Amino acid sequence: MSLAVDAKALVKQFGNIRALDELSFYIKPGEIFGLIGPNGAGKTTALRIVSTLLLPTSGTITVFNLDVVNQAAEVRKHISYLPEEAGAYRNLSGLEYLEFMAKFNTKNASELKQIINEAAQISGLGDRLKDKAKTYSKGMKRRLLVARALMTRPKLAVLDEPASGLDVLHAYHVREIIKSYVKEHGVTVLLSSHNMLEVEYLCDRVALLNKGKIVVEGKPNELKQKYKSENLEEVFAKVVGYA
Amino acid sequence: MLKGFSTILVKELKELIRDPKIIIGMIVIPLIMFPVLGLVLGYAVETAQEQAQKATIVVINNDGGNWSNRFINLLNTTINVNVVNNITPEQVLAQDLLAKNNSTQFIEIPAGFSTNMTQHTEGNLNITAAINTYSVFSGGSVFSEIGSSTITNFVSGFNRYIAPNVVYTTPSTIIKGEIQTGVDPSTLSSLLLSQSIVLPITIMILLTYAMQIAATSVAMEKEEKTLETLLTLPVDRFAILMGKLSSSICVAGVGALAYMIGYNYLMGSFMIGIQAGTSIDLVKLGLVPSPFGYLLLGISLFVTLLSGLALAVIMSAFSEDVRGAQSLIGYIYPLIFIPTFALMYLDINTLPLALRTVFFAIPYSQPIIASKAVIMGDYATVIFGIIYVAAFTIVIMYIASRLFATEKILTAKLKFKGLKGFRKARTEQPEQ
Repeated sequence: MSLAVDAKALVKQFGNIRALDELSFYIKPGEIFGLIGPNGAGKTTALRIVSTLLLPTSGTITVFNLDVVNQAAEVRKHISYLPEEAGAYRNLSGLEYLEFMAKFNTKNASELKQIINEAAQISGLGDRLKDKAKTYSKGMKRRLLVARALMTRPKLAVLDEPASGLDVLHAYHVREIIKSYVKEHGVTVLLSSHNMLEVEYLCDRVALLNKGKIVVEGKPNELKQKYKSENLEEVFAKVVGYA
Repeated sequence: MLKGFSTILVKELKELIRDPKIIIGMIVIPLIMFPVLGLVLGYAVETAQEQAQKATIVVINNDGGNWSNRFINLLNTTINVNVVNNITPEQVLAQDLLAKNNSTQFIEIPAGFSTNMTQHTEGNLNITAAINTYSVFSGGSVFSEIGSSTITNFVSGFNRYIAPNVVYTTPSTIIKGEIQTGVDPSTLSSLLLSQSIVLPITIMILLTYAMQIAATSVAMEKEEKTLETLLTLPVDRFAILMGKLSSSICVAGVGALAYMIGYNYLMGSFMIGIQAGTSIDLVKLGLVPSPFGYLLLGISLFVTLLSGLALAVIMSAFSEDVRGAQSLIGYIYPLIFIPTFALMYLDINTLPLALRTVFFAIPYSQPIIASKAVIMGDYATVIFGIIYVAAFTIVIMYIASRLFATEKILTAKLKFKGLKGFRKARTEQPEQ
């Protein structure tokens, strides 16, 4: 079976700074894979490369056997990217925003309606979708954006800190959406987070990233057992020699 | 004093002063731009005066009497004179005597001039003598009257020297190679002067406004954090660029249309005012653009707007937010402001080749040059300008499309090193 993502020896250099240092990982189809690590570890850079926004300085990466560098336009048809600090167009209503985004995937009116209805359901925003995005709270906006990322049922959803900065209830809603939706529709997910508990709850498999390198990789439970830790936070601290 | 006012003021000033884009845009550029403008305008006045002094005036002496000879001799002490006898004004043009003498004006001393002068000086004060002056009209500009005023000043001096109010000038204007008898060139210049100021300023406002819109549309995507999402959608990056440009073009197109309607109204109001006050009719004189002229002017304005918009989009790609984009756009403004103000005062055709080339090379000069050229029926200049700006636009569009196709649209920034200089397109490290 072909891999959803296959990254080999990825290097990304920004001037003198090596953001990714020979990073290799893979994701199986239907898997929720988490890249976790502290700020500046290289998580967002890796996600941006997978999403065709940045080019690797060296190394190779494929998404469903499509080369991310040479077949970027084709890759974009199969992915959906949710940036960490994404915004919505302030003067469009939530529904207009979803419709605008959905039109890039289909021109068929009934399909369009179906996608938007699905997004409305995922977001759980109800009638507030008719209001302009500038009136939304941070949590509402994030729910709208998560719905946008998942509504087209992409083969690969790339989610950068999907519940970052949200209060308990909004964060809970977002995590539940991701968990249930991807299992239901077989969507593959690559997500990043520095919230180890969130990752432990969501991910089938994780990679701990530090200074652009993967320091350890595996299933959350296996890692906890291997490092005799109660949670992934402790695993990470032990692996990087902090604890 | 308001509580907290000084704290906020100090913080605001620190933020503004520490942003090199603002310092350069608000302080350094005006400090450079206005001296440059001053130099150009000073040079223009100097050139116009020198040309007036060096010019040779063709004098048709159809009188041949003593007074006409005295008049010519006195004139010869202030300006170079080339006298021809027994020839009509039309023949001066037909024989191309103006070009041969590098002159833009000539005088006709009609038969009977000496007789009238003699009678006046002998006490018959009701009899006056007339001379006819003919000046080539080359489009309205503030300094266009400097040449023609030389003769007027001389005649005033001659009158003071001989007798008050003895010689009168009957001015005529040569427009597009034809003599328009009785049309005073200074009246004509005054009429078209307001036009030569209003048009460039309107074009300047339109260009700067449209560029602000285009720059903001990309910068807003960055500021609102929507650009990254947009760039990962299954849509051609060139389509994103064209979508943004097209919306700006629509705004600019409406702007150009409004401009043309306003311009037409302005010309109409001139004609109404002229018909009421003077005998000058700009339509009859051919000094109102033809429909083809309007079309060319519209195209010139449109391609210039397009190039400005594309450049604005590129500039905005180097900024992180709307304020940064607007500051960066400020660097282009001198290229709009300098030709605007300079071409109000200068006739580009009378400038030395080097300066003419510089003005022509600035794309934003083209609609201003075109607005004067279409009135004079100089369509070749306008068409050449359109081709030049179109080529410039294609290059800019190509650069913009390359920028959108790569990661530079996200990572490119103008890197300032204090105020000592800056390196372009430096790839910055984004958040990891």
